[in-house]
Amino acid sequence: MKRSKTMELGVGLFMLAGIAGLVFLGLRVSGLSLDTPESRFELHANFANIGGLKPRARVTMAGVTVGRVESIELDTDWYDAHVVMELDGDLEDTLPEDSTAAILTSGLLGEQYIGLSVGGAPETLSDGERIRDTQSALVLEELIQQFVSNMASEG
Amino acid sequence: MIERVHQLGRWGCRSLESLGDAGIFLVQSMFGIPSLEGVRLWLHQVHFVGVLSLAIVLVSGLFIGMVLALQGYTILVDFGAEDALGQMVALSLLRELAPVVAALLFAGRAGSALTAEIGLMKATEQLTSMEMIGVDPLRRVVAPRLWAGFVALPLLTIGFGVVGIWGGQLVGVQWLGVFEGSYWGNMQASVDFIGDVGNGLVKSLVFALVVTWIAVYQGYALVPTSEGISRATTRTVVYASLAVLGLDFLLTAVMFGGLS
Amino acid sequence: MTDTPFVEVEGLHYARGDTSIFRGIDMAILPNKMTAIMGPSGTGKTTLLKLIGGQLSPDAGRVLIDGEDVHRLSRKALFSLRRRMGMLFQSGALFSDLDVYENVAFPLRVHTDLPESMIRDLVLLKLQAVGLRGARELTPAELSGGMARRVALARALALDPELILYDEPFVGQDPISMGVLVQLIRRLNDALGLTAIVVSHDIKETLSIADHVYVIADGQVMAHGTPDSLDVEQDARVRQFVHGEPDGPVPFHYPGPAFHADLMGSGGVR
Repeated sequence: MKRSKTMELGVGLFMLAGIAGLVFLGLRVSGLSLDTPESRFELHANFANIGGLKPRARVTMAGVTVGRVESIELDTDWYDAHVVMELDGDLEDTLPEDSTAAILTSGLLGEQYIGLSVGGAPETLSDGERIRDTQSALVLEELIQQFVSNMASEG
Repeated sequence: MIERVHQLGRWGCRSLESLGDAGIFLVQSMFGIPSLEGVRLWLHQVHFVGVLSLAIVLVSGLFIGMVLALQGYTILVDFGAEDALGQMVALSLLRELAPVVAALLFAGRAGSALTAEIGLMKATEQLTSMEMIGVDPLRRVVAPRLWAGFVALPLLTIGFGVVGIWGGQLVGVQWLGVFEGSYWGNMQASVDFIGDVGNGLVKSLVFALVVTWIAVYQGYALVPTSEGISRATTRTVVYASLAVLGLDFLLTAVMFGGLS
Repeated sequence: MTDTPFVEVEGLHYARGDTSIFRGIDMAILPNKMTAIMGPSGTGKTTLLKLIGGQLSPDAGRVLIDGEDVHRLSRKALFSLRRRMGMLFQSGALFSDLDVYENVAFPLRVHTDLPESMIRDLVLLKLQAVGLRGARELTPAELSGGMARRVALARALALDPELILYDEPFVGQDPISMGVLVQLIRRLNDALGLTAIVVSHDIKETLSIADHVYVIADGQVMAHGTPDSLDVEQDARVRQFVHGEPDGPVPFHYPGPAFHADLMGSGGVR
């Protein structure tokens, strides 16, 4: 009987360790935080070109992550990209309505993310509203092309 | 020529037949009313297939994580992207290596032991005598082992992943000097709990079912001689490994390959 | 005591692959008697027990136990019928993960809701009957072959069955344990009034304890009767078997071409 007690203890520890491992994978590795289910709100933005932006990319403000990209789809009215962002609820009704959203690249070849910068208008953006002032991704090939044609015209 | 076609047909029929047998076997043994006694037997088997496989799985996980970090570093450093090491180690472990390698080790360590154990019980007439006492060996012998495997392998996979990521950190951060903040930070930014950890676990649940199923079926259906046992044990490891690798391709294609 | 047979075997046919093993076996096993089934190795005596126990299904014919057709019962009814049967296996077939006590307690635990104290009493009673009460904490691996068989006997008797099947109970035993087993089986059978079927090819021992004997060979019943009547049996095959003669109707040589022709060679084949 004693043998079976230690066995049960072993199995119990094994399963506890498994659950602890899962918690570790959740918190430390995938960066879930325990207080995530705080309030969030959505903002929309249209970009002429999103470059390599992916769903789940970061949305930052002054370098601080304040949300992430929820979905990206083609807007068939304007044939540009319609991006839905999910932002911290704290920012709801605080961002001026002339704020800008730009697609930026971290480092030369790094991932792309959206950077928000604050405008100065008195009206603020609330859930589901649209940021009008947007700046597309810089596409390296286009830059090079521009650079080359400038060089050519300067002769 | 005709004879060859005959042979092929016969082989096909036999394979289908045994697949059907194995399916009926699975259904018959998996679904029974669990009792207190059943829980005790199940615990015993979790110990046998899970706790006793822990050492080999964790040690392998540690080494694989360390190797990943070392190999990944030498490639990433060429692009100046060694900050992405954590992301690379974590994603390859969670999506692929942990479920697959843990399942392969499980097939070798626990699967072969299950086949041999059940085979020995069959060879020494224990299964028959259980039937004569009026106890269904599918319920009493096979079911606890199936369920134990189904629970143990995902737990082992989690352990493999955790230890591997820690091993990668050991090599990448402590030894090669990747900045610790970017190791964890990049990892957290790119690993999605549902998409990566969750899908890895789904894979390992599928593998657990298939590997344990193959192992107990091979044990239950073997020819009860010492030669039969050794052959069935080999078959378990071979079939289970092939099944794991093949299914892994399918699952990866469905989960990450954009098929939908 | 009635004369209606407890177990009836009618026109049993069974084939394994292309080899036919039984070609029409008829038997009537009387209640409270010990019936021996004897025959040379390889005649399928163990197969016959498996057919009676419902582990195998015959190709034709049927087996009735207490009026019920074994092979037409549902799985559940078959299992409840088996509760009334005990079987002693050639190897003992003790569960290797349980000790002696738990092995004997096993049928009681799965089939009854008796309190632990009563299970203990019953187990000790059965173990006392086979003389192994002191060995209750040993594991099956620590038992000798004869002891394992005695434990298995205690387990087979744990639920007080009406019918008990012995599969080669004497095979491979030294003279002492053989004597012990022969005594034990006869004594227990008399004391409990069991219907018993003994499958064996140990002629002397079996004839000494059986009430009735069936001799099977070539898939058929060669002879049956009391042990005494078999001694004077006129059939050459039965006589060869009962007296253990090396050559006779059951040939010493495996079938092959004539020895002379084989020696003279037929074109360089092996």
